[in-house]
Amino acid sequence: MSPPRKLREVIEIEDLNFSWKNNHVLEDVNISIPNNQLIAILGINGAGKSTLLKCINKILKPDSGNIKLQSNDISDLNLVELAKRISYVPQSVLTSFSMEVFDVVLLGRRPHISWRISNEDRDKVSKTLKFLNLEDFAFRRFNQLSGGERQRVIIAKAIAQDPNLFLMDEPTSDLDLKNQIEVMTCIKKLVSKKEGTKSALIAIHDINTAARFADRILLLHDKKIVADGTPEDVLTEENIANVFGVTSEIIPKSKSNPLRVIIKDKTNEYKENTEEE
Amino acid sequence: MDNISNQHIQNSKIQILLIFILTVSTFLLAIFALGMGSSTNLDFLTTLKIVLSLEEATTLQSDIIWKLRFPRILMAIVGGIALATAGALMQGCLGNPLVSPLTLGVASGAALGAALAIVIGFSISGELAYLFSFFGLFPGILYWPPIEFILFYSDSLAIIVNAFLFSLIVVAIIIQLGNLRSVSAESYILVGIAITFIAGAIVSTMQYFATDAQLSQLAHWSFGSLSRPTLWDAVLIMIIVIILMPFALIRAWDLNTLSLGGDDFAISTGVDPKVTRKKILIFSALMTSIVIAFTGLIGFLGLAAPHMSRLIVGNDYRKLIPCSAVFGALLMLLADTLGRTLFAPIIIPVGIMLSILGGPFFMYLLLRNRSGF
Ligand SMILES: Nc1ncnc2c1ncn2[C@@H]1O[C@H](COP(=O)(O)OP(=O)(O)O)[C@@H](O)[C@H]1O
Ligand SMILES: [Mg+2]
Repeated sequence: MSPPRKLREVIEIEDLNFSWKNNHVLEDVNISIPNNQLIAILGINGAGKSTLLKCINKILKPDSGNIKLQSNDISDLNLVELAKRISYVPQSVLTSFSMEVFDVVLLGRRPHISWRISNEDRDKVSKTLKFLNLEDFAFRRFNQLSGGERQRVIIAKAIAQDPNLFLMDEPTSDLDLKNQIEVMTCIKKLVSKKEGTKSALIAIHDINTAARFADRILLLHDKKIVADGTPEDVLTEENIANVFGVTSEIIPKSKSNPLRVIIKDKTNEYKENTEEE
Repeated sequence: MDNISNQHIQNSKIQILLIFILTVSTFLLAIFALGMGSSTNLDFLTTLKIVLSLEEATTLQSDIIWKLRFPRILMAIVGGIALATAGALMQGCLGNPLVSPLTLGVASGAALGAALAIVIGFSISGELAYLFSFFGLFPGILYWPPIEFILFYSDSLAIIVNAFLFSLIVVAIIIQLGNLRSVSAESYILVGIAITFIAGAIVSTMQYFATDAQLSQLAHWSFGSLSRPTLWDAVLIMIIVIILMPFALIRAWDLNTLSLGGDDFAISTGVDPKVTRKKILIFSALMTSIVIAFTGLIGFLGLAAPHMSRLIVGNDYRKLIPCSAVFGALLMLLADTLGRTLFAPIIIPVGIMLSILGGPFFMYLLLRNRSGF
């Protein structure tokens, strides 16, 4: 799936190590992300997916290793410069003081403006709201939305931030089936714009969503990236057994369908892959 | 421009209009308050005529208006602005609807600092004059305006500085508390109560060592009053508030980010939560100290004014800061005017009035806290 031409790297992670006190979570992780790629990270709960995303975003400070963003070391970039180029969608956002959805999405413009909001900023926000089918929510209060609606608003905020790299931590976990597909399609559209320089690194639980939308999949297991490649390369019965401890059957990609993984159990057969806790 | 953007601009305009109406109301109330009082030969209409120079005032009348009522009203306005702004900033940077200068203990810290300065007797003007005149060599320099200004205010400034230093101790405790993981919103309030108890105990102890004159000054500390500050105190605070307000306003986006989404969300939006919190808490402590140093403990304004403003303009700090400031001025003026007219000629201190009104409000906030704002 990798495009033929040589692409500039958005981010390069070299020998990244991170531990929580004595719990070594990431060990010598190397990832390099070129432009125009949607990359999914898969791994069991506690594998370190969130930790990895937070290291890239300077929320957590790694023990060692380099992270280069468009060939600048991120430790040399201040948070505003970083926020112009990376936007992060946390697993969940707890609010104590709510705002209208429009104003929440407007926060995505914060790294780009000084104080006054221009009409361009407003238009960018309303365009993003329309892009994610959120225009009916524009003047609803954020804390009065459902979990899935909130998640989409935070994704809209990340898009309005207009970054080079999206980091998303289970962005579709609260979404219904239709919205999962719609949101992922939107992100895919943004990333695959040929004239653009955007990429996305998305921690995700649903293997089939990953297989369907990702250009590339990273398997994070036992502190390391154990597989890195196209969905066809990575999603093998052997890899899935190793990482998730379940037996599976792979239905290869066809003209009309993406690659699909069917999780099996020794006694029962599940149509879905539910390895969530 | 599409219709969603237009609607957003429209909503903003309405909110700005509401802030403007509040400002005008405050101004009208100030004029009204100037005419209200226990003095029998000075009713509302007479005052109005005197203020508009339509009528000659007797010396007594003009003294009552300009030396008694005006400083009080000015102090209510600038004090209300400062305390309400401090409250709004604290709530935003901690993402906690229950905090305010009083409930965090910052106000008590400042009041303790000011009380110590007064009782231990901080008269540094003499020493300062000596210092500025280069040890008596150039006495003429004392009449240079900037130095004159500093000398004129040296005692007031000393009290403010001491109040600020003590409030900073409280801020340091709050920042430490914030560094612990998983502190609940209520923990801040409990720590604030503990600090208020300790400060109160120290002030009570000081009463045993105080002279009669000092004792009557100390009596103000538990219930703040607007009768103590002079016109020049009020002017000094006004100058400081005017200088400080822009620094609050430029933090509006940072506060929006922090108060909406917490630390991780803030970082990914380009805001350093720790640094921002520290700066804003220190700033709020300064805003609190300049008022408390002169009035004594005034509570609930810093809690109530921001919350009422949230109902009007929402939680966008670019509008919330000005709106809270105006609401603070309005509430303080209202409470003080009620306090001195309800049972005239008895004057109930503004601190008591605000506690009577604010206490139940705080209970209401505590009970509905779980459902979010
Ligand atoms: N705040 C924390 N303090 C200590 N350990 C943590 C903290 N957050 C996560 N961990 C640990 O780090 C490991 C990786 O967690 P995380 O990155 O959240 O995993 P994932 O997102 O893949 O489910 C887990 O073992 C978890 O227990
Ligand atoms: Mg996670």
